[in-house]
Parts: sequence; C-alpha cells; structure tokens
Amino acid sequence: MSEGEKDFYQVYEVFSKKNDKAPLQYQFSLLAPNRELAFIMAKENFFRREQPADIWVVKRDDIRTMTQEEREGMKNLDKSYRETKGYGYLKKKWRKYEQEQLTEKDIMGGGNH
Amino acid sequence: MEAVYQQNIDHFMDRINNGEKIEADDWMPDEYREALIRLISMHGISEIMGALPEKEWVPKAPTLHRKLAIMAKVQDEMGHGQLLLRVAEDLMAPLGKNRDDIMKDLFSGRLKFHNVFHMEAPTWGDAGIIAWLVDGAAIISQTMMLGTSYGPYGRALKRICAEEVFHAQHGESIIMALAEGTEEQRELLQDALNRWWTSLLMFFGPKSKNETGHSNQDKNMQYKLRTKTNEELRQEFLTKYVPRIWALGLTIPDPTLKFDEEKSEWEYADPDWSEFKKIVTGNGPKSKERLALRVRSYEMNSWVREALGKRPQHI
Amino acid sequence: MESAEYRNSLIELIYQLADDDFILAYRGSEWLGLAPHIEEDVAFSSISQDLMGHATLYYSLLEELGEGDADKLTHARSPHDFHNAVLLELPNGQGTYLEEPNYDWAFTVVRNYFYTLAKKVRLQSIKENSYESLQQIVKKISVEMSYHLMHWETWFDQLMNSTPEAKRRMTDAINIVLKEMRGVFSYGENGEKIVRLSLIEREEVLIQRWKDILNEKVDFSLDIEMSLDGRNGKHTDHLEGALSTLSEVYQSVPSAEW
Repeated sequence: MSEGEKDFYQVYEVFSKKNDKAPLQYQFSLLAPNRELAFIMAKENFFRREQPADIWVVKRDDIRTMTQEEREGMKNLDKSYRETKGYGYLKKKWRKYEQEQLTEKDIMGGGNH
Repeated sequence: MEAVYQQNIDHFMDRINNGEKIEADDWMPDEYREALIRLISMHGISEIMGALPEKEWVPKAPTLHRKLAIMAKVQDEMGHGQLLLRVAEDLMAPLGKNRDDIMKDLFSGRLKFHNVFHMEAPTWGDAGIIAWLVDGAAIISQTMMLGTSYGPYGRALKRICAEEVFHAQHGESIIMALAEGTEEQRELLQDALNRWWTSLLMFFGPKSKNETGHSNQDKNMQYKLRTKTNEELRQEFLTKYVPRIWALGLTIPDPTLKFDEEKSEWEYADPDWSEFKKIVTGNGPKSKERLALRVRSYEMNSWVREALGKRPQHI
Repeated sequence: MESAEYRNSLIELIYQLADDDFILAYRGSEWLGLAPHIEEDVAFSSISQDLMGHATLYYSLLEELGEGDADKLTHARSPHDFHNAVLLELPNGQGTYLEEPNYDWAFTVVRNYFYTLAKKVRLQSIKENSYESLQQIVKKISVEMSYHLMHWETWFDQLMNSTPEAKRRMTDAINIVLKEMRGVFSYGENGEKIVRLSLIEREEVLIQRWKDILNEKVDFSLDIEMSLDGRNGKHTDHLEGALSTLSEVYQSVPSAEW
C-alpha cells in the first residue's frame, strides 16, 4: 500500500439532528479521504431510511474525548446541591405547614414550551 | 508490574460482570482485544463477502419492485460491513493496522469469512432462500450478541438488527411468491432449499471443539461477547423455521429431522464438519471466485484511493 | 389530452426520460460491491436505487397513458423500442459484473456527473412548461437529483485536482463521454413536434445551458457528438446484453408472478 492509499483512510465522526428542535446526536464513524467526501458519504451510510434535518462531520483527530479514568472519575462527583433531587426533603416539610411543594411545572409557570 | 496488571484485570472483569460496557480506548487485556478483533473483523468481512452471492441477482431481479428491494437489501449488508469494520479498525489502530490490513488479511486467507458465503447461488430461488433463511439465522446470532460487553460492537449491532426486520420480510416476500407460483417456481424454491440446508445447519458452527478441533465459544462467553452456545442458537433456528418451511409444503432434505418431545430439542443429521472446515478455509465451491472479485475491485480502484489520499485535506 | 399528436409526443418524451434513468440505474447496480471503498459502495447504491425509483415513476405515468404494465415495459421490450441515449448503455468497463470486472471509476464519475447535470437542465425546462402530471413527477425527482449532482460533482472536482494519473484517467473518460453526450440532448426524429407542443425547450437551448454551467469549472472544449441516436431505437450491442441480463428471471417463467 502506498503512502497515498494509507492517507485515504481518515476517520470522521458523524452527528445529526432529527429536526430543528432536536439536539445533535452521535451516529457513527466512517472512513473518507477528506471532509467533503466524508460529508457526501455520511447521508447514505447512516440515514438510508430517515431524513435528518442536519448532518455534521468532524475529523476524529479534532475531537478530545474522555479517557477511561476521566469517565470513572466523573461518577464520584456529587452534584446534588445543584439538582432538585437534593431538595426532596422539602416536600415533607411543606406538608407540615399544610402546603403542597411547588412542582417543576408550577415553578416554570405558564410559558408554553 | 505483575501486581498492576492483576489489578487492571480484576477491575476489567468487575466492569464486565457488573454489565458495564467497555469502550475502544479503555484498558483491556490483550486476549480480549484479540478475541474482539477476530470476532468482529470476521463478522464485518462476512457482511461484505455476503453481499456477493446476492449481488449476483441484483441486476437480474424479476420486477422493478424486486430490483429496488434487493438493491436496498444488499446495500444494507454493505452498510453493516461498514459499521463492523469501523469497530474492528478502532480496535486494531493501537496495533498500527487499518482497513487496508483487513483487506490484505482477507486476500491472504488469514481472515476467514462465513461458511454460507462460499456457496453457489445459481438461481433466483437461492436469492429467496438466502434472504429468508440465511438472514433468519444471522438475526438469531446477532440479537444474541446485542448485550455484548464491548460498547461499540453493541451499538453497531443495534443499528444492524433494526434493519434486519426489513430483510426478513423481503426474504419472506420472495419465497412466498415462489411458493404460491407456478410449478417451475416451486421447483426453483425446493431446489434452493436442498442446496442450502446443510450450510444452514453449519451456519452456527460446531457444537464444541470435538467436531473441528477448534472453537472460540468458551472464551467469548467468559468475556460476555456472547451469551448462548452454537447449539442453542441452532435449536432456536430450527424451532423458528422448520414449521414454517413445512407449512409451505416444502421438503427438508433430512429424513431424520424431528422434534424430540422428551428431550425438548430437535434431532437432525449432523453435517459433515470436515466439509465445514474445508469450506471456511477457502476451499468451498465459490470461495476462489468471490475472493477474486473482491481482489479485483480492490486493485482496479487503487488509483482512486491513491489520488485522493495524496490530495491536501480541506479543499 | 389535446390531440393524438400531443399524446404521442408526450409518450415519446417520457420514454426517453424513463429509459435513460432505468439503464443508468442498471449500470449502477452492476457496481454494487465493487466501488473504491465500502462507504462509497453504500452511497452509490442509494443513487442507483433513486434512479430506478425515478424510472418507475415515469413508467407508471406511461401505464396511466395506456402503454401497459411497467414491469413488462422494462423486462419485455426489445432493444430497438428502448429510447435511452447510447451514453447510458455503455458498459462500466471491461468484463462483466460477475466475471473479471475491470470497471473504470473515472468513466463512471464523468458519465454520472455530465448526465446528472444534463438531467437537471432537462427537468428544469419541463418543470416550467409541460404536461401537468409530468411536471409533478419531475418536481419530486428534482429533490433527490440535487443530492446526486452534489455527489458526482464532489468526486469529479477532487479527481480532476489530484494526481497526474487521476487527471489522465479523467481526461480519457471525458473524451469517451463527450463522444456520446450529444445523444442525451437529442429528442430523436419526433423532436420537432415535442418542442413545438411545448413539452420541453429546444435541444440547442438545453445544450447551451449545460455548457455554461460546466464552462465555469473546466478549461477543455465541450464539443459533443453521438455515434447513434438512441432516441430512434438505434443502439450498440451493449444494450441488448444489458436487457437480456436484467430480464433473465422475468423471462424464465413467462406470465408468472414474482
């Protein structure tokens, strides 16, 4: 295999959006020699049956992902002080005052989402 | 050093036993990596080689609808090969290997492909039997591996299995038309079934290494790459398809085939496993031709890969 | 429908559109499993399927116009009743798709790119003024076609700007394609009626539009020719070979359901 042929096989990661409100979702990776070809391959390789609203291709070398250690490290962090589940005891407290705790819906008010 | 390795192994086995998924860049024992590369590159290349017998019928499919459907189906198989090879390639990257090495291994005979894809497919009846029963068998073994401990493989299999439902129905639709067709069409179907029956039994591999002197199934089960034995899968296949084959009025070319109520399992004439070994080592009826076709496509296009590999990126 | 003349001219034009896409889809389907790499194999197959889908839409319109069953039209018509341009029936290279194929990717890229560009120009003209049912079909087809154009244009641009070997192969392919390209724009011996009845614009107008687009990116002369006019049922032997392969199963048990 020549040097040229070796460079043909670059890894590109493919992301897509189902519709304009959906978040970007990871699909899979493919091999292509450059970004333009990666892009035209992406549609038929991963969306043969559904029509995505948008497609992104990114060269894998340009992505920094987590190592195993970093991922395992994440698990130990307790963030309950900034999540609702850390405040579950309030429900009982309010009941003592004969009040219902405001739900997420009450708090978020009448805005139509 | 020894102690660190043991620690790594223990942590790794804990993760597997806890049902955690291993990712491409995670620490893994060499033996696990090797088992994965062997399993997934063979699976991937089998999809690619598996496109060839059916591809013979793509231009010849008998109606516009059949032409479109079989093209889509064979394209999906190539697409499955793409997903699986990507998974295998990422596992091989630390060893300095890429897709080109997979192809070279295939050409040299080091990398084997599935026994069924070495067989002849001389009529449109074969296209029907392949889509119905070979794919049916493939679905059984692929769904079994959905829970695999290796994350990227599981995700590829999930995409693959989602498309297999279409394949199964595509196959059923072809054989149903033949079964309900003219005398010649029914004959086409019966002949194809006769040709494929032994290969279908062989599809799941030998019961144990007693048959062929070699098997990876124990190791693959220990690493949670698979959850059922070859024989369990074969029994599942027989339970699912034998009644349907009979219901269509077709004859299975094995007079000893019957369901043993007491043992609650199918009895069948064991295929000749030395023949199996011969086939998978590249001496099946179509092994050479199919491989030659793959080599041809690789060589005739090498100037394309060379040309674009040498271009600067991003223009 | 206004008159027999209108009806016949319309049918003639639809046959040309249908047979072009159908035969090129067939040639594309022969490539399955043999493309430069797996990802392209998958992508190319979608294009072949789309093309065959486009042909199917045209054939069903012919069905409505009383021309008979679409499967029969595609699997039981003799070569001289096919009205595709000769360019589209030329083989992908040497050998067959089953034995010793020595297919030419440069030819495939150039043929598909030049054809798709011509198809765009053709469909654009029909979209603006033609028979209404045909206009509707053409609008649907145009959406998928724009993807095909992007696909082949990317391959064309990249191979033209890479190694000297690629450039040489592309130049050879361009010369072969230009030799039959004129046939894609031909409406055949009934062309004068087709144009007079406003089913599509004049051949020369479309050719000029096609050249104007291509001239923006290429520096070679675009002199187009044809050896035989496929629109009049004149074909190379390659068409007969292709038709006998694609109808082999259909013909094996006449009158069967498949």
